[in-house]
Amino acid sequence: MEKRELQFMDGKSSKFWRIELDGACHTVTYGRIGTEGTSQTKEFSSPAEAKKSHDKLLSQKLAKGYVDTAGGGAAGGGAAAGAGDEVPFIAFPCTTGSNGTGSHASNFMGLRVSRFSAGKKPGDPKKTAYFFGSDYENDTFTEDLEAFLESDVAAEARALVLGPWAEELYDVSSAEAVKLLVANAKKLPKLAGLFVGDIVQEENEISWIHQSDLSPLFAAFPKLQLLRARGGQDLALSKAKHAGLRALALETGGMNASVVRSILSGDFPALEYLELWLGTEEYGGTCTVEDLQPLFKGKKFPKLRYLGLRNCDFVDDIATVVVNSPLLQRIETLDLSLGTLSDVGGRALLKLPKESSLKKLDLSHHFMSKQLMKELKGLKLAVDVSEAESPDDEWRFVAVGE
Amino acid sequence: MALSAEAARAHLEAGKPGPLSVDGRLDLTNTRLKSLPQGIACYELDASSSALESLPSDLQVESRLILDNCQHLRSLPAGLEAGAISLRNCNSLHALPEGLETWFLDLSESKRFTQWPRQANVHSGRVRLRNCIDLQSLPSWFGTLATLDLAGCVGLTSVPDGIRVTGWIDIGGTNITSLPPSLGDAQLHWRSVPITHRIAFEPQSITAKEAISEQNAEIRRVMIERMGYLRFAQEAGAKVLDADTDPGGERRLLHIELEQDEPLVGLACACPSTGHRYFLRVPPSTKSCHQAAAWLAGFDDPALYHPVIET
Repeated sequence: MEKRELQFMDGKSSKFWRIELDGACHTVTYGRIGTEGTSQTKEFSSPAEAKKSHDKLLSQKLAKGYVDTAGGGAAGGGAAAGAGDEVPFIAFPCTTGSNGTGSHASNFMGLRVSRFSAGKKPGDPKKTAYFFGSDYENDTFTEDLEAFLESDVAAEARALVLGPWAEELYDVSSAEAVKLLVANAKKLPKLAGLFVGDIVQEENEISWIHQSDLSPLFAAFPKLQLLRARGGQDLALSKAKHAGLRALALETGGMNASVVRSILSGDFPALEYLELWLGTEEYGGTCTVEDLQPLFKGKKFPKLRYLGLRNCDFVDDIATVVVNSPLLQRIETLDLSLGTLSDVGGRALLKLPKESSLKKLDLSHHFMSKQLMKELKGLKLAVDVSEAESPDDEWRFVAVGE
Repeated sequence: MALSAEAARAHLEAGKPGPLSVDGRLDLTNTRLKSLPQGIACYELDASSSALESLPSDLQVESRLILDNCQHLRSLPAGLEAGAISLRNCNSLHALPEGLETWFLDLSESKRFTQWPRQANVHSGRVRLRNCIDLQSLPSWFGTLATLDLAGCVGLTSVPDGIRVTGWIDIGGTNITSLPPSLGDAQLHWRSVPITHRIAFEPQSITAKEAISEQNAEIRRVMIERMGYLRFAQEAGAKVLDADTDPGGERRLLHIELEQDEPLVGLACACPSTGHRYFLRVPPSTKSCHQAAAWLAGFDDPALYHPVIET
């Protein structure tokens, strides 16, 4: 009998898929991680037919972004991801697809996101990422967060998701929320993941969100493994240093070069996952490909496995340079999605080194021709060229602008 | 001593010595300092539009070194190393130093730059040499680059073998007539417009019919420029709007309709001294040869244009 188990996580779902091949039968089991799931057994006319179907289903799942379950057999009725101290690597991505900022994350760090409301029974901290947020009717962000910090679950909480921190967001930054968390860091001894700014498009455009200096969080939470933030205005990391941080994701419509400078001159020896939305000049972006050279040079972040340079309007420039980078000898995923990639950058990617550690290339939301998409799919790694925009468009746009 | 960027600038402008280090970006733009002390280390240095004439031999810049518009900059230290080095519009700079090491090099508009070091290392990133009009050659030590922009380098006639690009090479307006084997499959640009090798290197094979039927207006313009306006006008069966004579002989005002672009209108004339024939493009609203000649001489109102002699 042959068994293979895969997992998939992003901001919407957290699921497993398992296939067992036994002679002329195969059994597929799938469902949410942490549940038993649903099983289906199929019988074929011969073991060869069963094997053929098995291989096809498996390759379809892998193409969709499923990966092998780390350590084998953890899911499917087993422990929920993130229950141990070490956050599984697969739980770091969150905002996927070009409409990823259109709705709140229902999953974060492999945990189900659930609103914490003062006076209501909180979710199980082993399975829950606690959400806090105000809206036009209820300006309860601070009240709920303060109540949470006084509650019993705070000591066990693994992940927090900070949504709209005020009723009216136009001129209120994340500074007060960050200050409140930093002042109460002792009450959150197990905090491993934090999302500052799960604010969706209808609440506030990504380029209108006022962030703040997030680096006090690094000093206050030495056990933090994942920091994700949305919004580029006033975003800063003045003291960019954390011995244990494994994942850093900054989503912006335009990233100031000073943020990139802070990260690349900073000290993050444990970083495995780096996702930067570089955006466009129109919405405050001041980076150029030159600013990324210290990254491409390949000496920073010795543990890096995933590099995402997303939502970027100079991704063609990045593509032509990154193919020459020694980083490609040690990272697994290169994500250039949500940007304005055209045939110019796409052609350069055809020159990826033949021998490399790269397993996945995410180019979704792009402006490449059909011919080039076909050639890229011929590369010996998983290439995502979904969400193709017209290559003849006079002007090309990033997926998440404004 | 570690200083903030502001404190470091004040320290240097007060004429105080090194060593000093800056965590982030040291901003010395517009400074009147002519030189800097030994012992400076920073992540990034921007001394654009400054009076700097040289740099200290032990300068340490990890990421970007920006020296754009430094009109007095004459030399750089041997072994200079930085992630990206930008020397745009540095008009006193003739040479780069031996042992230079970087990923990105920009010398655009540095019109007097001519001399490459015997040995240096520029690789992986972009090299931009836009409008380096005095430049006569490229070095053999460029490794694999992302892009190589030579547009406007009118003195260049060839590219050494061994240079590779993962992106593109731009040869717009150069006199380069072929590419070496190492660039055989490179994407080619002509002043930022992607073109084929044939348009670049076999312009005599382009026909007017082919140029007119090209859908992309930018590529069409390059095709016409490459085949020459005069030949294009002849082959395209241009309409003669006006004709008269000048000291060069007959001159004609020609008109060609272009799809999704303004019409091509130009004065076809000969030089009275050399006999060379020219096609000089004029605004599409021009109606007569005289009006065209007036516009070319800088007169918007042809009534004011009465040359004693046209040369």
